[in-house]
Amino acid sequence: MRYRILTVDDSRTVRTIVRKALKNFDCEILEGSNGVEGLAMAGKENPSVIILDVTMPVMDGVEMLTRLKADPQLKTVPVVMLTAEGGRENVLKIAKLGIRDYIVKPFKEDLLIEKLGRIIDLKPLGDGPAKIKSILDPCDILVVEDKPAIIQQIQDGLGHTQWKILGMSLLGEAIDLCQRQVPDMILISLSLPDDSALQLFRLLRANLKTKNTPIFGVAVKTDAVAQQQAQQIGFSAIVTKPIDISDLESKMAKAMNLDMSPRHFTIDQNFFTLRLPENCSPLVINDVTSRLEAKLAEAVNAGLSRALIDVHEVKGLNMTIIKLLLQTMQMCHELAMQFALVGNANVITECKGFEDTRSWSFFESMVEARESLLVKKLPIC
Amino acid sequence: MPMIEPISEQTIRSHIVRAVQEVFSTMLGREVQFVDPPGQTSAKPRPALEGKPGQHDPYVVGTVGFVGKIDGLIYLYLPEKFARLATSHLLGMSEYAIAAEGASVVNDAIGELTNMTVGVFKNALCDSGLTCRLTIPSILRGSNFTIEPISSATRWIFHFDCAGYRLVADILMKPQE
Repeated sequence: MRYRILTVDDSRTVRTIVRKALKNFDCEILEGSNGVEGLAMAGKENPSVIILDVTMPVMDGVEMLTRLKADPQLKTVPVVMLTAEGGRENVLKIAKLGIRDYIVKPFKEDLLIEKLGRIIDLKPLGDGPAKIKSILDPCDILVVEDKPAIIQQIQDGLGHTQWKILGMSLLGEAIDLCQRQVPDMILISLSLPDDSALQLFRLLRANLKTKNTPIFGVAVKTDAVAQQQAQQIGFSAIVTKPIDISDLESKMAKAMNLDMSPRHFTIDQNFFTLRLPENCSPLVINDVTSRLEAKLAEAVNAGLSRALIDVHEVKGLNMTIIKLLLQTMQMCHELAMQFALVGNANVITECKGFEDTRSWSFFESMVEARESLLVKKLPIC
Repeated sequence: MPMIEPISEQTIRSHIVRAVQEVFSTMLGREVQFVDPPGQTSAKPRPALEGKPGQHDPYVVGTVGFVGKIDGLIYLYLPEKFARLATSHLLGMSEYAIAAEGASVVNDAIGELTNMTVGVFKNALCDSGLTCRLTIPSILRGSNFTIEPISSATRWIFHFDCAGYRLVADILMKPQE
């Protein structure tokens, strides 16, 4: 949703400053030069916020505010006063009419942005449509943790990704870093001394730059109190120690809204490949299931007619995996794609135990599966 | 009702110096120095513009009044060249673009700077019990004019230096009853 901000001020200068302050944010600026114009614009455009001056010709800000509050359609529109009228008595009188905030001129543009950011979810404007990052893209991850071994464990565990894991033990360092360059994701140890984790979380959420950054709390599995506190104040998720790196990676990818499909779907040597990872968590299965149809259609559209279903990394089968494989094979049939399964000894043995999977035939390597499809040109199942 | 003390010259000076410095620092990022010539009093203030009328540089003068328990008017004099610079900074426009827009854009910007300056000044008066409201700004331009108050008004003139330019705050107040 694109926010609409109405600035009502008789000074073109102030309206221009407001426009200038917000030019890098995804919002539309509407203008009125007095209360009458402001009311008309508000009624027509239904703005998300109104920035209102007090002293104006034709109709002043106090009268406009009074009329806004009496209008059932407009009374809930948040109003921020931006005025040189700053005497205590005047401010109190106006505040009683029902305003969201009050800024006394002179003002810094940053202050205006900060106050508006508390009312609407102001998002910085990108250069164009936001490119969705994929699981294979670099990401900056900040880990605020006073135990170097945990930072090392996360760095080692996620070493196969393109993610840059930066560990910090001090709050000040973490805040400075976030000011300079906002990380894609932040992990905060909930066992930092003196409630530092909660303080840091509040500071990051109050900052416009980091208010939307996913923040995970990291706590010892048995520390229910810390986990509950973190959930209550709004941490995006809680990760427990000992850390299951594979689970952490899935959760982080989801929190960063990364496109996981390049890891599961590839096109190589004219073969479409669906590859399931060692740890097929529900997140992975859901992601694959939601993209399967589109990815297969994409492959057929590109002229491919052979598919490899690779489960050789999967530790063991369960009903969700079986259901996904059945669905994949069904879709291949419907799209007239030849396919072959690649599995490990454990998966092959387990398949013999289920009615639905007993008849499945597997190759033990991708090379064999490819050759089979090329030579026989028949589906193997 | 609490008694309101008459305003001293020192209070007026303190309020206007703070107002000018706060507005120019916040809105323009400029430091402003108060220039206090020896021997100046409200009874015999230094003239707003030095030299004979017609001989000084063109000025843009913003005016905003305040009315209520205390009434007055403040003129803020800015050399035209500085007024254009200030407008350029405030609006994020090049000087060329300012020139192309004409005088109205500079008038509006200086009107707003004056409004903010008088706002800070009168808010300090309000907080000491002298509640009053601002009037709408107006602009005076030229190099050949003088502003003369009516005889009953009290007048203070304060000079400031900013980025090599001379700014003047000319305060006229109706005597308190």
